[in-house]
Amino acid sequence: MKRLLALVHREFWENKGAFRTTPLVIGGIYIVFLLMSIFTTAHFDNELYTFREAVRLLAEQPVEFRAAHAEEVMLGTSLFFTLVLAFVVFFYLLGALYDDRKDRSILFWKSLPASDALTIVSKLLSAMVLAPLIFWLVFVLTQILMGIIASVMVLSVGENPWTLFLSIVNPLQAWFTLLVSYLAASIWFLPMYGWLLLVSAFAPRIPLLFAVLPPVVFAILQIWIDFLRTFTLDSSLFGVIGEWVANSPAILTAHVHDGRGTLALGAPLTDDFDHAVTLANIFDRLFSVQMLVGLAVAAVFLTGALWLRRRATDS
Amino acid sequence: MTPIVSARGLTKRYGRTLAVDHIDLEIPPGRIVGLIGPNGAGKTSALKAILGLATYEGELSVLGKNPSRQRAALMEDVCFIADVAVLPRWIRVWQLIDVTERIHPRFSRARCLEYLAQTKVTLNHRVKQLSKGMVAQLHLALVMAIDVRLLVLDEPTLGLDILYRKQFYTSLLNDYFDEERTILITTHQVEEVEHILTDLIFIQDGKIALEASMDAVEQRYTELMVKPDRAAEARALQPMFERELFGRHIFLYDNVSREQLAGLGELHTPSVADLFVATMKRGES
Repeated sequence: MKRLLALVHREFWENKGAFRTTPLVIGGIYIVFLLMSIFTTAHFDNELYTFREAVRLLAEQPVEFRAAHAEEVMLGTSLFFTLVLAFVVFFYLLGALYDDRKDRSILFWKSLPASDALTIVSKLLSAMVLAPLIFWLVFVLTQILMGIIASVMVLSVGENPWTLFLSIVNPLQAWFTLLVSYLAASIWFLPMYGWLLLVSAFAPRIPLLFAVLPPVVFAILQIWIDFLRTFTLDSSLFGVIGEWVANSPAILTAHVHDGRGTLALGAPLTDDFDHAVTLANIFDRLFSVQMLVGLAVAAVFLTGALWLRRRATDS
Repeated sequence: MTPIVSARGLTKRYGRTLAVDHIDLEIPPGRIVGLIGPNGAGKTSALKAILGLATYEGELSVLGKNPSRQRAALMEDVCFIADVAVLPRWIRVWQLIDVTERIHPRFSRARCLEYLAQTKVTLNHRVKQLSKGMVAQLHLALVMAIDVRLLVLDEPTLGLDILYRKQFYTSLLNDYFDEERTILITTHQVEEVEHILTDLIFIQDGKIALEASMDAVEQRYTELMVKPDRAAEARALQPMFERELFGRHIFLYDNVSREQLAGLGELHTPSVADLFVATMKRGES
């Protein structure tokens, strides 16, 4: 356990830029945009008259309306974080078992009494838990800051931020939902993570190419053969991956539902699962047949990655 | 005493070529063994097998463990520096020490810091900011702070200047080596290690060309320097190698008694480098 933690710590040190700086920059962007919009408003809006009116109108809306919208705004802010987190994890895993082979530092890491399995587990944990956790923490921090700034603004036009939104939203619940969705998505996407680690352990160079090209070629062949045989376009690997993303337990899309904007788990294009953002729906995905198949696929890929890692040296 | 390394028919294939060709090897504890061979002779392949970094055929036991299956456990008692400058470039010195301390049960932070204090390496340096010589010093400080029974050094000083190289081996000998420990070194810079070695292994085309203790080498091999007029007599005693230097003929004999040679000219113990060249030439013919 101590060794595993040391290895995860090592991953953090190596990837500080991606794991810590990146979410901080996103949070910073949100804050800066918020401040910029405030200054823009203050500049054109004579004595904040329009802003005052807007806040007053909002205050007149029923509590349920404000509560629903506040929560959507809160979770909606996470979309940007989630998207960038996905990129960070993708490239992190691609390099995880490749970079140290390229710079030959694998010869140092293998001189330490940490098994190759432990090394792979540490990389998986970094991708599945460490990175999402840091992104989530920075997200929460950003929201607290934005809440403070918004409250100050509302106060400055003589309205009470407590009755307006602070008392009616439940930030803890929204944050908790997001954290659970992040961790659930980490499990949901394990087959992809396994594939990336396998490629990372295998690629002699340019792991990105080895990660993307085989599935693309495979899918195109599938489509082509299907077309030759039946003159129809059935679901190919593209479809499977697309469906997988659409079914994911991460909050990925906002869409219009019953005349108002709603957030959704994955993308509401499939009807395998309920896409409403609830904890029950998140767990529904984790205890599904799809998940079971996904875990089996992930196990195959990870076993392959471990087999390759055992034999890997600098050349 | 049980040997540190014991190999029977150790073989490593790359496709059809045999990099290591059925080697039998036994390294007892408390030795400093030089594994010496030309490029591509199979030194690194043999070392990688010993360190559990590569697959192999044959029987191999290192400290009683099977290196290919028990690398992690083995690394608690074995340490290696495979080539210079393989420390991760992004890492800071304090992070390197930290992670080593947390993973290696036999690492002593105090000793490591003690060794580092003798260098210009500071804790906040990133490895990529250090010169090649400083990286080697850092790696050596790390390794010397680990209390292991076998230390393997594969070209640990390649590309370093003479000052660093001398210092490297001096610290190794003075501060690290004792009767409990075994050091296995491969290098091309034979002159620098020959005075610290206790045993020699020459390897050629994946086979062992010579395996002997330095004492045995001294007993067995003699170098004779003669003036040209007596060269024919010397040649009649079947030297394994002959070369000319400043008009003198230098002969190297394997198992020819010193009394027999003494009358012909000056006798020396051959240097490891000369012995190596002679052995390789003999192996080729």
